Amino acid sequence: MAKEVFMPKLSSTMDEGTLLEWFKEEGDPVEVGEPIFEIMTDKINIEVESYEEGVLLKRNYDVDAEIPVNAVIGYVGEEGEDVPENPPEAGANDSKGAQAGSGEDAGQTGAPAAEERGSDDVQDDTEGEKVRATPAARRVAREENVNLASVQGSGPKGRRHEQDMKDALDSTKATPLAGKIAGDQGVDLAEVEGSGAHGKVRKDDVLQHTTPAAAQSAPDEDAERIKLKGLRKAVADKMVQSTSEIPHVTLTSDVDMTHVIDVRKTLLPIIEKQTGYRVSYTEILIKAVSQLMDAHPRVNASLEGNEIVLNKSVNIGLAVAVEDGLIVPSVKDADKKGLAQLTKVSKTLGQKARDNKLTPDEMTGNTFSISNLGMYAIDSFTPIINPPETAILGVGRIVEKPVVIDGEIEVRPMMALSLSFDHRAIDGAPAAAFLTDLKERLENPYGLLI
Amino acid sequence: MREITYSEAVREALSQEMRKNDDVFILGEDIGVYGGAFGVTRGMIEEFGPDRIRNTPISESGIAGAAVGSALTGMRPIAELQFSDFITIALDQMANQAAKIRYMYGGKGKVPMVLRTPSGSGTGAAAQHSQSLEAWVAHVPGLKVVQPSTGYDAKGLLKAAIDDDNPVIFYEHKTLYGTKSDVPEEQYSIPLGQADIKREGTDVTIVAYAVMVPRALEAAKELEKEGISVEVVDPRTLVPLDKETIVKSVSKTGRVVVAHEAVKRGGYGGEIASMIAESDAFDFLDAPIKRLGGAESPIPYNPELEKAHVPQVPDMIKAVKETLNKA
Repeated sequence: MAKEVFMPKLSSTMDEGTLLEWFKEEGDPVEVGEPIFEIMTDKINIEVESYEEGVLLKRNYDVDAEIPVNAVIGYVGEEGEDVPENPPEAGANDSKGAQAGSGEDAGQTGAPAAEERGSDDVQDDTEGEKVRATPAARRVAREENVNLASVQGSGPKGRRHEQDMKDALDSTKATPLAGKIAGDQGVDLAEVEGSGAHGKVRKDDVLQHTTPAAAQSAPDEDAERIKLKGLRKAVADKMVQSTSEIPHVTLTSDVDMTHVIDVRKTLLPIIEKQTGYRVSYTEILIKAVSQLMDAHPRVNASLEGNEIVLNKSVNIGLAVAVEDGLIVPSVKDADKKGLAQLTKVSKTLGQKARDNKLTPDEMTGNTFSISNLGMYAIDSFTPIINPPETAILGVGRIVEKPVVIDGEIEVRPMMALSLSFDHRAIDGAPAAAFLTDLKERLENPYGLLI
Repeated sequence: MREITYSEAVREALSQEMRKNDDVFILGEDIGVYGGAFGVTRGMIEEFGPDRIRNTPISESGIAGAAVGSALTGMRPIAELQFSDFITIALDQMANQAAKIRYMYGGKGKVPMVLRTPSGSGTGAAAQHSQSLEAWVAHVPGLKVVQPSTGYDAKGLLKAAIDDDNPVIFYEHKTLYGTKSDVPEEQYSIPLGQADIKREGTDVTIVAYAVMVPRALEAAKELEKEGISVEVVDPRTLVPLDKETIVKSVSKTGRVVVAHEAVKRGGYGGEIASMIAESDAFDFLDAPIKRLGGAESPIPYNPELEKAHVPQVPDMIKAVKETLNKA
């Protein structure tokens, strides 16, 4: 019997992937482990290998198609076998996203775990466990074609009741993001026409709805249009999510970098000789920030649902500009690394990011991020938090400025630091204390060497 | 409307039927001058005389047997047992004879009798005088089983039972005898197999009969203060059971508590619960069916223990809340 080849879910945030290239024609033989096609996710490009041996019977999508997770991309089976003419709809994806995200299935190809397989059928079972639901809840699930497993039950042991199903139906008519934007902008979701599966309202539908037709700029026939997809779309979605969900507050402080410059000058040849890489201010910042996390655990935290998770590890995310997007590789256990090692790791990660060769593991697990625009003519800016982290540090350029020291005007190399924090998780005072300590540490940087 | 007690309503039904039909007579222990263990037939011997208000020896088997025999010969006897517990002695007559004769003789003989008997606890009458054994007789095909909860229902249902050409076990609850309700003087009967919605509600259905009905109504009143709307359905007759009314109510509310005084294990509530689970109401159930019944022990003599043995109003409130996942 022909086997379905699914769009794999390669990260918890992946909803769809873009088909970049087919390596096989319909009718071509396929070996186990042989790449069949390549996809682009919101983070990486990856070749999807076959789990089955046989013949590629059907290609359901063309190159450049954006395909939802769990959608059937094609079929592999014996020559001459019948397969469906049209791909079955991967209807459960929208509502199942959170449930199906069974972690980072990096490298897993072709055959996603059973619970990730989307289906319009009423699916009662999660893997190994029967879903608890009352007969009334089951009836609603049946009538409304809702996946019972995707609904949170309010009863004993998570038993789904009829009302749970009705609540879920109401809420799943819109994606969470669309719901949030609609809420913020006072838009009645009932008035918005949904373009998603089963008429589900998506973010774009709400935005379209809120922009009056007259206010929309007249289309310029010659303008180049770039579709938001892949990494660009992921960045766009994440930024909207972050700014719409997180109450950002940004604190700024000017730091006298005189001594940091001296330290860097002194260490540069030593580290370069040792690692082959030139230490930059970024690594010094990583070092300084990491050292302070013990004393400021709220800054090194994640906000997950109603819980603030105080992370034990210090994994510093480093925002790296790449072609058409922004990637934040993770410098793991930064607090345990010396400047030489930090230099090597961050330079290596930066290069891998630019070469699009980061593994999912190298892009996840951040507990705090640094965004450095100091190489540009930027004095300060408002960095946007990378959820679920609770804070991010924005770094401006070092520029000589007149400062008053002991009643005298002196020219000093100054750098502005901007700390954006999630006011749900941290208040102003502890965030300010962190930034003050950071300024203090940078102005007296010899502590970094301890 | 005139308000009379439950026992007066039963007496009125008996008297009206006896006046209408000379074939109707009553037999039982001390029902004549004494007026019966609970005074239901008090004064009747003066109007109808000892031939029709017929005292019997202390022999429940004899009372039931005589009733079966006279019914077969064309009379319409009403047998009274002083306590429903004594049906054990009359059970051969009722279960092996009365229930089967019409079937076994191809309809050529019929047993139009009523066996009236007080049931239930609450009077401190201890283990042999306080039971609710309705499930025993409800199990036997051929017997009809009635359990009225109000004087109005008792009068109307008793008249229907006397009219019925089949043996009917008619349970009267001891503690209901003194309760008053509006009962019309005129002749009326309530068909067997017709439940009554004692109170309308939307959140949960309590199916209760006999003394559990006033308790369910009181519980509903309390729960209403917390915004919980309870529908109370009184089947009134267990056999035949008005499945339609129960199914309709449960389909509406999605939740059900079945309450009776009889011991929960093997009680008639299990029959009602199974019927609901087998019916169209299944798809509307939004919680497991809850049964409330008596404890698995003989009924204690001590009044406090006796009270604790059977479901009371707080038990019903708790059960309803559990069903609504609000306990």
